[in-house]
Amino acid sequence: MSAQSTLFSERTEKWRFKSRFSERTRNAVIFVSSLILLVYVLAPVGWLLSSSFQSEAEIVSVPPHWIPHEPTLENFDAIFFQEFEEVTYDTRRKVDPAAGGYIPSTAKDLMPSMWNSFIVSLSVVILNLLVGIPAAYAMAKIRFWGRQATVYTILTTRVIPDIALVVPFFLVIKNLGLLDHVLSLIITYLAVTIPFTVFILVSYFESLPDELDKAARVDGCSRFQTMTQVFLPLALPSIVAVMLFAFLTSWNEFLLALMFTQTIASQTLPIVVASFTSDFTISFSFINAAGVVAIIPPVILALFFERYIVSGLTAGAVKG
Amino acid sequence: MARILFDNVTKYYGSVKAVDRLNLEIVDKEFLVLLGPSGCGKTTTLNMIAGLEELSEGDIYFDEQVVNFMPPHIRDVAMVFQSYALYPHKNVFDNIAFGLKMRKYDGAEIDKRVRDAAARLHIEHLLDRLPSQLSGGQRQRVALGRAMVRQPSVFLMDEPLSNLDAALRISMRAEIKQLHHSMETTFVYVTHDQAEALTLADRIVVMQEGVVQQIGTPDEIYEKPENLFVASFLGNPPINLLEGELAAEGGKMVFQKGGFRMHFPEDMTIKLQAHTGRAVTLGIRPEDVNEQGAAMPGSAVSGTVDTVLPMGSEQYLSMTIEGTEVFFRLGKEHKHKDGDSVSLEVNRNRLHVFDKETRRSLLWG
Amino acid sequence: MPANMKNLRYKLARRFNYEARSAGLFILPVMSVLAVVAVFPIIYSLYTSFFSLKLTRPHRVPFVGFDNYVKVLGDELFWESVLRTVSFTLISVTAILILALFIALLLNETFRGRRFISAIILIPWAIPTVANGLLWKWIYDSGYGALNGLLMQLGLIDKYVTWLGDPEKTIPLISNAFVWKEVPLAAILILVTMKSIPADLYRAARVDGANLLQRFVHITLPSLKPGFMLVMIYETMMAIRHFDLFFLLTEGGPADASHVISWQIYVETFRNLSFGTGSAMSYILAIVTFALAFAIIRTLGRKI
Repeated sequence: MSAQSTLFSERTEKWRFKSRFSERTRNAVIFVSSLILLVYVLAPVGWLLSSSFQSEAEIVSVPPHWIPHEPTLENFDAIFFQEFEEVTYDTRRKVDPAAGGYIPSTAKDLMPSMWNSFIVSLSVVILNLLVGIPAAYAMAKIRFWGRQATVYTILTTRVIPDIALVVPFFLVIKNLGLLDHVLSLIITYLAVTIPFTVFILVSYFESLPDELDKAARVDGCSRFQTMTQVFLPLALPSIVAVMLFAFLTSWNEFLLALMFTQTIASQTLPIVVASFTSDFTISFSFINAAGVVAIIPPVILALFFERYIVSGLTAGAVKG
Repeated sequence: MARILFDNVTKYYGSVKAVDRLNLEIVDKEFLVLLGPSGCGKTTTLNMIAGLEELSEGDIYFDEQVVNFMPPHIRDVAMVFQSYALYPHKNVFDNIAFGLKMRKYDGAEIDKRVRDAAARLHIEHLLDRLPSQLSGGQRQRVALGRAMVRQPSVFLMDEPLSNLDAALRISMRAEIKQLHHSMETTFVYVTHDQAEALTLADRIVVMQEGVVQQIGTPDEIYEKPENLFVASFLGNPPINLLEGELAAEGGKMVFQKGGFRMHFPEDMTIKLQAHTGRAVTLGIRPEDVNEQGAAMPGSAVSGTVDTVLPMGSEQYLSMTIEGTEVFFRLGKEHKHKDGDSVSLEVNRNRLHVFDKETRRSLLWG
Repeated sequence: MPANMKNLRYKLARRFNYEARSAGLFILPVMSVLAVVAVFPIIYSLYTSFFSLKLTRPHRVPFVGFDNYVKVLGDELFWESVLRTVSFTLISVTAILILALFIALLLNETFRGRRFISAIILIPWAIPTVANGLLWKWIYDSGYGALNGLLMQLGLIDKYVTWLGDPEKTIPLISNAFVWKEVPLAAILILVTMKSIPADLYRAARVDGANLLQRFVHITLPSLKPGFMLVMIYETMMAIRHFDLFFLLTEGGPADASHVISWQIYVETFRNLSFGTGSAMSYILAIVTFALAFAIIRTLGRKI
């Protein structure tokens, strides 16, 4: 073996060792980072969960019990079945809070408010699709006068802070007689969510090949048919992403709901849950349980549709 | 439909003229090719027939009816795209059937037509597959099938073979020509490949920068180009061009560039007489020379071979004439080497002469 | 037909042809919705800002021109809230950008369990701001909160600390809650940008001999500019206008420590019932937001 090739194999050896070493380092770094990330994300939620299973007596222990020593479902009972518990809780209201078992006076509104939230969110999603998809298709594929201007106008409506819109909204809604009606929320949430919907859909539609559009039109599709028969099926990831965003935004919205709703006739979940904190009877465990109930629907949806979020936001690589 | 007529059609994109006063009559059942380099307006013209682009000025007639604002889905045209544009979410059968479905043909008829077309194109075994599962050539056929089943009045094709490899391209050309014969429909075909145009067309429309350069049969375009652009664009390798002047010599017209001379035959002399002294460009196609006859000065090209490029059954010789590089194509009877001295007789009935400034042919058009 | 009439008919037909008609029909729903629920309120509140409209004396609404704006801009309280908003925004956006970058880097690698993690990190983003507020309020609780408990157990403090009640700590704490909820979306936006960086760039760099750090600095960071810009603009806008957490956690307190602009607008409009000045404040906020977005786009170069 000549001097040259010994040198070569020595370098190869060094490189092999180094790459195995860096492979292990890489895995270790990934593992540790993932762990830290998981803790960062899940610890607060875990604590919420744990607190909701603790009785009032336990929840006020110092130091706190990370895992409930005596897990109980009584908080959830109070939420779902409070018709039965109300009498007992009411009479015990005069007693010292630390003994537990207090629920805020608005507790009975929790489930109905969840129903309101559901109706509002679903309506907003459906309307977003009905209104947003044709608009996005037209802005992406039809060259019409004023197209750029339209896109910018739509995006600009979101520059104004929501607070500024409350008063005029309030007046409009009052004049329409819609105060304290879920419709008021549906309309205003539409205004809030549409710009984002249109933005996402337009980007996605634009990434779909123009020639598909042409082929469909020559094949005999009117503009409308082109949109429904060809582009809709192909834009599914972004449509799902848009539905998810619209739903979550509506479900989670707080400020506008605070302003426009007065009674349980139209109050949504965030409002009722928020009312617990300002109620004069403070039951920590109950509030935590309410929080858990509030987060379950959106979290389930997000986890379920997670894969569409990334693919819906990236312009797809669709080939004809 | 008997014919398509473009009447002074112009199309602007902003301030750019993509098509400039196009006047064209497309005859029923002909195979018309729109030929030109990219950006010449051929695809725009095709799109205007389909209704995918709107005209800025002028009128387009289908038979006697003005169709300027008729949307594509009402027109009876079918189109094959360069990138095939198959619907990715539909299988082959549904892709082909789509146009018929949109026009509300009944199920049995659709089924029959689709299967017939599939059989014709040899893709029956692919009917259940998705476009993503097909090769380029197969996708091409599906795109053809989709257009065929509609049995349209006009068949539009936008560079359909550009994305195929060379061998496939040649065989597909033959198939398309056969298709045209059997379908007896008007074909309008866009390409930048001049060989393709010469092979397929009944008539060719040569375009450059939105302006029609010449309309004619392949033979007319090739043998009687009306301007320099058309002469250079058709023919591979391109026509050799020499700049010089026309002179009269003893009753005959002659081209001269430095020491190089070319005598024109009788019929050309008559046409060129009026242009004595003019600065012109002489065109000699690479194939219009031979080594058979006696090469006399004034009817031959003589010089030293710079490079020999062997090409299987032929050879190309590159030479320099008065400073201009020229290429000629010969058979392999006399194998040449670099540096050989050659004298090639020119077929003087195939000479081309263009005015140096206007670039128009002085012989035709 | 006489020439000019034919011309007119032609022009009309062109204007109202099929393409334009379809586009118009498709856009109509969106524009009408927005006209009613977005454009009208925006213009109306602008209109209101030029009047002195106080609900305490609703029948006297004099036109005051730019007086409201002058009053607002001259109010010391206003500028203090601006300062607090700025510090809140700076802390939050910086934290979001850094965390989102690291998370995106992590998620860009392939490893077992990556899908699981991608899904899990969406949880903070999905939960309602109310729940977020309650959650952190409970964690920060002075008497029974988890933060105190944890620090005590780790031996870092020897007695319970007031968190939200301490003016020094308020903004960072609220910022933490805000960041926790916003990071997932920011991370995804950056991840999406990251995925569009062509692999060939990295390969070329490796052949050129660049090590990991060099590749990061010279390829990854510059290519992420559009993503950073998007996140920066979006999160800055969100932070400046954010209201919910301030309402739920501290109501502007303690001692005005968390009295930011959005809170100031709320107080002015709904507690002081002075709609005129409230609207003026909102418009100032809107203009500032717009200008900021513009400035960021300019300085960082490209448009999105």
